[in-house]
Amino acid sequence: MRSHMQNLFIGLFLLIPLSAADVAAESLPAGEEIARRINVRDEGEVVSRFITMAMTDRSGTERVRETKSLRKYFGKEKRTIIFYLSPSNIKDTAFLTYDYPEADRDDDQWLYLPAARKVRRISASDRGDYFLGTDFTYEDIRKETKVGIEDYSWKTLGEETIDGHRCFLVEEIPVNDKTAKELGYSKVQSWIDTEIWMVRQAKYWDVAGNPLKTLQVREITLIQNIWTAHQLSVENHKTGHKTVFTFKDVNYGQSVKDEMFTEDALRRGY
Amino acid sequence: MARSYTTCGILALAGWLIAASALAESTQDDTKSSQLSKHRFSAVLESEAAYGIARDRANKMEMVLDPQWEYRWSDETRITGIARLYTEGFDHLEPGRLSQGEVSPNSRRLQLGDRTDIELREFYLRTRLWGMHLTLGKQQVVWGKADGLKLLDVVNPQNFREFILDNFDDSRIPLWTVNAEMPIGGGNLQLLWIPDRTYHRLPQADATFAFSSPLIVPQAPPGIAVNLRPLERPNNIVMDSDIGMRFSTFWHGWDLTLNYLYHFADFPVLFQSVFLAPGGATVTVNPRYERNHLIGGSFSNAFGNLTVRGEAIYNTDQFVLTMNRRDGDGVIKSGEIAYVLGLDWSGIQDTLLSVQLFQSWLLHPGDGMVRDPLDTTTTVLLRRHFLNETLETEVLWLQGVNQGDGLVRPKVSYELRDNLKIWTGFDLFYGDRKGLFGQFDRNDRLVIGMEMGI
Repeated sequence: MRSHMQNLFIGLFLLIPLSAADVAAESLPAGEEIARRINVRDEGEVVSRFITMAMTDRSGTERVRETKSLRKYFGKEKRTIIFYLSPSNIKDTAFLTYDYPEADRDDDQWLYLPAARKVRRISASDRGDYFLGTDFTYEDIRKETKVGIEDYSWKTLGEETIDGHRCFLVEEIPVNDKTAKELGYSKVQSWIDTEIWMVRQAKYWDVAGNPLKTLQVREITLIQNIWTAHQLSVENHKTGHKTVFTFKDVNYGQSVKDEMFTEDALRRGY
Repeated sequence: MARSYTTCGILALAGWLIAASALAESTQDDTKSSQLSKHRFSAVLESEAAYGIARDRANKMEMVLDPQWEYRWSDETRITGIARLYTEGFDHLEPGRLSQGEVSPNSRRLQLGDRTDIELREFYLRTRLWGMHLTLGKQQVVWGKADGLKLLDVVNPQNFREFILDNFDDSRIPLWTVNAEMPIGGGNLQLLWIPDRTYHRLPQADATFAFSSPLIVPQAPPGIAVNLRPLERPNNIVMDSDIGMRFSTFWHGWDLTLNYLYHFADFPVLFQSVFLAPGGATVTVNPRYERNHLIGGSFSNAFGNLTVRGEAIYNTDQFVLTMNRRDGDGVIKSGEIAYVLGLDWSGIQDTLLSVQLFQSWLLHPGDGMVRDPLDTTTTVLLRRHFLNETLETEVLWLQGVNQGDGLVRPKVSYELRDNLKIWTGFDLFYGDRKGLFGQFDRNDRLVIGMEMGI
């Protein structure tokens, strides 16, 4: 027969792991703090790179686009331009976006279609639409490896290891139905590297709550002292379609003129 | 002799580009390495066939090869050449040998028989000099925001061999142009000098899409002979050249342009005179190009799911045919104000609904004019993508409000492979035969086509 003292010890022993877990959870940074750390990570004032976009459908048919991408910060405003170099039938297609820091200001976007030789203004609320046949949305393209803090409520779920790297697991829920519909997601879970504050993996659920797609970020290396992902792959679980972006010749030191980020530059091409 | 040497040189260059496209496959790997090599060759092969439903006969079987060569000296200097080998199996769109009277000698096509042409489409040097972007050579300059119909997009003339059914990129006729663009006042100023005196290519009387509407072609009363005089072309390379300028800027979310073009309008004015003789009356038609000042502008902005865009122009000298027999020359000169307002809605994923309203208002209408002083056209475009944009469906509907005629174009296209696209669709005209669209009421057709990047 155990004494009251023994029961007390057993009870305390059982409580210890729970308390440790609680302490651990409390010691994890808050979701918003992790998102903020992602967005303050240095990504260079300017970057120039080639991006190979490989798209594969369920049957294994592959389409490959070669592009040149330039991105430059104008204060806190981020401008990105992408020129398509091949294949020849879509060559010279180009996309320009102005990503503003103000949460209540829509971004501005333009698309140059060589078949019409005209620049078309694109509605910024198309951000949940898929970008030119890829599995990345216009919003994904604009944000690159950054996140839209104001679009989600953020919650840290714990820690996990991805490819041998310790990561925070964060859940993101759109702030309202309108935002969820615009983004095309009802929930996102992201695994963020605790050392370099870069998303290494993310899972997305569609607005109906079904698993939608998985993003994997690979080949992260330091270039000119800036952590740089060289491969982004997305697999859409509903369609079986997959997109892999491979980055080459990444250069944060290249001089890029401001006028490269204009409607006229879209028209002139690269 | 000097002119013929120039023409031969230009056509030889076009031939070289076509021959070089055969090597494109061997150089393709250079591009795929994503390192821009100094030389880049590519080509697009397009084939389209059409079956005339009302006439119950095939009326088009064309193949177009567009090889493109680019040489980059540096990031800011490159030279681009685009040639075209065009062959058409039935010879119904541009029957026989073409006179090419509307085309300046250095822009003409080399005709290899009735059904095959070689053309130097574009050939220009693009560089940066004294803070300006210079594009020198044969090129297309595209202004405006409208789809399907043109108000500001009139810098380059158009080939109407398929009325407005051809892609504008294909039907637009490139011109030898000096094009300078410079940043100024927070915007961009473009200056154009166009010594190339090439104008719209209009289909011959026996072509499938020959114009017959009285809005365009004067109608001689029965029993009156018609004497069509040769086309009077402007012939001074300096005094008869076109000049243009455009200032574009981005202001508080608005894309704005101001445009000015001093040009010869690309449709010849059909001046008419009547001679009464004992044997009967004869109408002599003197086609002549006339000068016009075009002043205009455009705008676009996005608000949520909606994109708003528009153009407005003022033409100082528009010429409209008149049926008034007391009129001295059969045409009325008037100023014109015209505008287009377009709304693009993309509230449903992968779907675009676009509507446009075009209106043209003649400021000084005259008696017997063949068109109304206020002319209205509307367009509706519904487009949806499927399967990661490999499958595209669309319907374009153009409606001429005044004549009650129009054109409906349903189309489905599918990207079979990375560089191979196929499509099929209908071009369905309806309405009064006197209308701009209705004149082709018997030209309804089923179209199939393919495009391959090489």
